[in-house]
Amino acid sequence: MQQQAAITEVPLSKAALRSTATPLGRPFHKILVSFSAAYFAGALVTDLVYWQMPDVMWERFSIWLIVAGLVLAGFATIAYVIDLVTGRKIDRPAIPRAVGYVLAVLLSLINAFVHSRDGYTAIVPAGLTLSGLVVIVLLLTVRVGTALTNRSRVGG
Amino acid sequence: MRTPRLSPSAKLPRLAALLVAVAGLGLAGCDDHAGDPKLQIGANPVLPEVQQYLMPPMRVAKVVGWSTDEHPTVPQGLHIQALAIGFQHPRSLYVLPNGDVLVVESNGPKAPIYRPKDIITGWVQSFAGAKAKDANRITLVRTKGDGTPELRTVFLDHLNSPFGVTLVGNDLYVANTDAIVRFPYQDGQTSIIAPGTKLTDLPGGPIDHHWTKALLASPDGSKLYVGVGSNSNIGENGIGAEYERAAIWEVDRASGAHRIFASGIRNPTGLQWEPETGKLWAIANERDEIGPDLVPDYLTSVQDGGFYGWPYSYYGQHLDPRIVPQRPDLVAKAIAPDYALSSHVAPLGVAMYTGTGLPENFRGGAFVGEHGSWNRTPLNGYKVVFVPFSGGRPSGPAQDVVTGFLDANNHAHGRPVGLAVDRTGGLLIADDVGNTVWRVSSARPGSVSSIR
Repeated sequence: MQQQAAITEVPLSKAALRSTATPLGRPFHKILVSFSAAYFAGALVTDLVYWQMPDVMWERFSIWLIVAGLVLAGFATIAYVIDLVTGRKIDRPAIPRAVGYVLAVLLSLINAFVHSRDGYTAIVPAGLTLSGLVVIVLLLTVRVGTALTNRSRVGG
Repeated sequence: MRTPRLSPSAKLPRLAALLVAVAGLGLAGCDDHAGDPKLQIGANPVLPEVQQYLMPPMRVAKVVGWSTDEHPTVPQGLHIQALAIGFQHPRSLYVLPNGDVLVVESNGPKAPIYRPKDIITGWVQSFAGAKAKDANRITLVRTKGDGTPELRTVFLDHLNSPFGVTLVGNDLYVANTDAIVRFPYQDGQTSIIAPGTKLTDLPGGPIDHHWTKALLASPDGSKLYVGVGSNSNIGENGIGAEYERAAIWEVDRASGAHRIFASGIRNPTGLQWEPETGKLWAIANERDEIGPDLVPDYLTSVQDGGFYGWPYSYYGQHLDPRIVPQRPDLVAKAIAPDYALSSHVAPLGVAMYTGTGLPENFRGGAFVGEHGSWNRTPLNGYKVVFVPFSGGRPSGPAQDVVTGFLDANNHAHGRPVGLAVDRTGGLLIADDVGNTVWRVSSARPGSVSSIR
């Protein structure tokens, strides 16, 4: 009995509970973040297709995908504030993840300007490079986030 | 185990700061260093390296219009006054044989939104007065001997973004944005109610990026020459959208059949016969977004079958990196235009002066109406210039003739567009944001400099 009590007391510290159990459900901003990340990744795909087959249709897909991602990133920011205010819990590794995400969004903003050029140089090479970089940053962010989440879960 | 896993996240803020700094530099790097436009006037313009923007500069003059005592400025020896005011976006002018002046009040069709950028561009253009309602009509102004109006009527209504007008015998041709339409005209007629007959279709919507169709009849009246602008800045709507565009068409007046007389001319907005040699000359608007000094707009003779570069190259063999795949076969034969007018001035009207009303030095040369830049700092154009000709070729630097469309605060009172020479040799200027038609004449000795 004594031993069991000792084990449960540690993970029941406030911080640990918050990171895994979210009484009000999944924080809403996370859904929007996932959507915008998917749009940014989609732009990389259409950029790659344009690079291989320079038809303006793919170029247009790319810029709309990037802009849609940016719009959702804007909504995600609003949702994040609401989540904070309403007490939906922000995970413990939120800071590094947020930094990675903000970086990806800033790069995408630059990418939107590059993609708004006319013709081939809207994509190749600068636009394509930026789209690739955004996806790398997002993947890195997910990896870091996952690692930290696992650490906090295992850490008990 | 913890330390190595933590390290990437620890590095992220620093990486972010670095990238934001780099981005800031990139934006600052867009700062224009526009050269002297004078270096880009004439046969051998200085052409800098291509510069690609992160954020293209959009700089348009705020439109303030003319108050009743204001008018453009002309040099000593000339006189300017309003022929008539209160038009709705007058774009081009045509003088009928009896001296009646046709004022084409027109604007482009609504531009489709293909990219988020189109929304921004539309907003900027509306700021510059380019989004005025399309009147789609031609107004006739009849003047007394002294150039003051005595009659004003709606000459032709319900047109479709008209621009070019020309009369051959009793056939009046109007170049709508999508077709050349013929109307019957009798000398002295002040309005046409007869329905038009379509001579030929012209490349119109759905994009119709450059919508104006300049029109000029051959001296014998058998052919019509049509300036058909490109469907994009630099091919961003796909090469398929450019079919038979960025070209000067030759249309057979009897059958309506056409052939491409010359191609690779991005936006030929005005056509004229050079009086000494009888050759076809055109003004053209060149491409944007590769720098404040690229690519100079131009005035050029037009060779039958000639290719002038667009979209693959400019001024001969200067390749445009934005076009892939390239066409080395076409670039090899690209003709450099005869006379650069400097970058982004937007020539929209040209008149070879064969009249006698203005001082001697203007005879045989070309007046060019420069609508003015929208993507260059400092602003360029916003004036009417004169290019002297000798032996059928430009023979000197362009001189400013009508200025003062911009004030000291870079506010636009007006913007010159189409030009025409009236029966008594006065130079007429359509002002599409000042909504006025101006008339330049020789100053009478002892007269006040100008009245409105």
